[in-house]
Amino acid sequence: MDMLESALEDISIVSLRGRLDTSCAGDLEKKLDSLINSAQVRMVVNLKEVEYISSSGLRVFLAELKKVRKQGGDIKLACLKPEIRQVFDIAGFTQLFNIFDTMELAMAHYKEIR
Amino acid sequence: MDTSVIDLLVELIQTTSVIVVFAYLVSRSKFFLGILDKQFSFKNQIVLILLFGALSIFGTYGGIKLPSGAIANIRDLGPMVAGLAAGPLTGLGAGLIGGVHRYLLGGFVCVPCALSTILAGLLGGFIHMLRKREFATIWQATLFAALMECLHMGLTLLLARPFSEAVSVVKQVIVPMVIANSLGMAVFAFVVRNLIHERNTAAEKELYRRALERTEYEMETARGIQQSFLPESPPKIAGFELGALNKPARQVGGDFYDFIPISEGKMGIVIADVSGKGVPAALFMALSRAIVRANVHETITTSEAIEKANHLIAEEAKFGMFVTLFYAVLDSKRRLLQYVNAGHNPPLMLKHLASDLILLNANGIALGALDDIRLEQKEVGLVADDIVVLYTDGIIEAVNDKGEQFGMDRLEKIISNNTNLPAQQLADQINDEVQRFAQGQQQFDDLTLIVLKVTGADTSAEK
Repeated sequence: MDMLESALEDISIVSLRGRLDTSCAGDLEKKLDSLINSAQVRMVVNLKEVEYISSSGLRVFLAELKKVRKQGGDIKLACLKPEIRQVFDIAGFTQLFNIFDTMELAMAHYKEIR
Repeated sequence: MDTSVIDLLVELIQTTSVIVVFAYLVSRSKFFLGILDKQFSFKNQIVLILLFGALSIFGTYGGIKLPSGAIANIRDLGPMVAGLAAGPLTGLGAGLIGGVHRYLLGGFVCVPCALSTILAGLLGGFIHMLRKREFATIWQATLFAALMECLHMGLTLLLARPFSEAVSVVKQVIVPMVIANSLGMAVFAFVVRNLIHERNTAAEKELYRRALERTEYEMETARGIQQSFLPESPPKIAGFELGALNKPARQVGGDFYDFIPISEGKMGIVIADVSGKGVPAALFMALSRAIVRANVHETITTSEAIEKANHLIAEEAKFGMFVTLFYAVLDSKRRLLQYVNAGHNPPLMLKHLASDLILLNANGIALGALDDIRLEQKEVGLVADDIVVLYTDGIIEAVNDKGEQFGMDRLEKIISNNTNLPAQQLADQINDEVQRFAQGQQQFDDLTLIVLKVTGADTSAEK
């Protein structure tokens, strides 16, 4: 899986590509942890090019979401393919995460709640 | 270079070849290996003294008599190696054997030659101590041999009389002796260093192999313990048939299923999948299973039981661990399935009469994600020949060599085509087809199945 990181103002954008399974869940966890450690707790994760997510991937998002919310931040998810959205849906995680169809909507959501 | 020097060199190199064979054989002996393992026992040292003393004597005879009567030789080599390998005492012992022997042969250089051989052993031993009882590196050993032979020549010039004859002997032998002893030492050191390296590698491999074996054994034990957490066989319920199977992708896994007797005529059925894989998932599985078991009770509703279990699991759910779980209570008298779905793949139900497949959906969220959750509780009536298949995502996400997933459609088809099979056989059939589909591909997920079939037309008739 590939990870790309960028930032817009104080919002960190993490773009993922490929299969998010057990073998790379640890890498994602480290990446998001490093953002949190540098006090960047407002994140948008672009899942546009993610084809598969395993429960290990869900676990990482859940663990990191708990951390950023404690610090007043959020992890918003954007551009989920239908099959990825279904995985979040079945686990009930669509109730937990703010999920958006486009990056713009996800970014705008930060502005609204300010 | 005149021919006599070349002849000398050739002969000395031949002698050195004998030394190489000696080095190889001696270095493989248990005494030498014992010394390398830092077992400086009396026995090991005595044997080395005798062996390298003998080598020293061979070095004298294997040497070449010069016209002057002096012998160009590699007598110092044995004591030097003995010293480098085992310390000053062993070096001195071997040196004394070679040195005294040389002294007894007589000749005008006998005193400096004997002294040099004894010194060679002692100095080798000091290097051994300086190297903290390790054999010197190839370069150190070779340099030592070359310098030792220069010292040998110096002593000859200092002690042998008449001086003019000593000078002529030294002139003749210094080049062949420095070269031959250095070469002999280089080869010896090469053999010994290689041996040390081989043994270190072998020792590391052995350690690694043992650690691996221990881990393997522990994992097998863990697997046994985990399997003992699963029901040995599905319970027998009048008017119903139950079949189940569980195949962890690794030795231990995060899937589990359970049958929990609640009260007369009521049986709890659990299927669950812990996030992640391997040991972390297995530990969380054991915890979740115990909590669910402890909270299921006849006095509270199905949803309350799992909501309470969630509260306890959430307290322990560090690192984002969660468990998706489907829990149903089978009321065999009222022929009713009451269920909640905590973020699990919705089970498939084939209604025989409608020959329609329905999904047992209910609003919920995986356990451990939130401290307090509300789960929707639903009910579905059961009639004869209805089939309910509960499964984990290892079934539908099994991948074949083209990267395709097994998927819901294939699962539905197997169920529809095999309605006549008994519950356990249907579970086995689904598993077989998944295995066939995914043949040769490494599967990453555990695979768990429960099949519930309604058999009797009326439960009262069974009594």
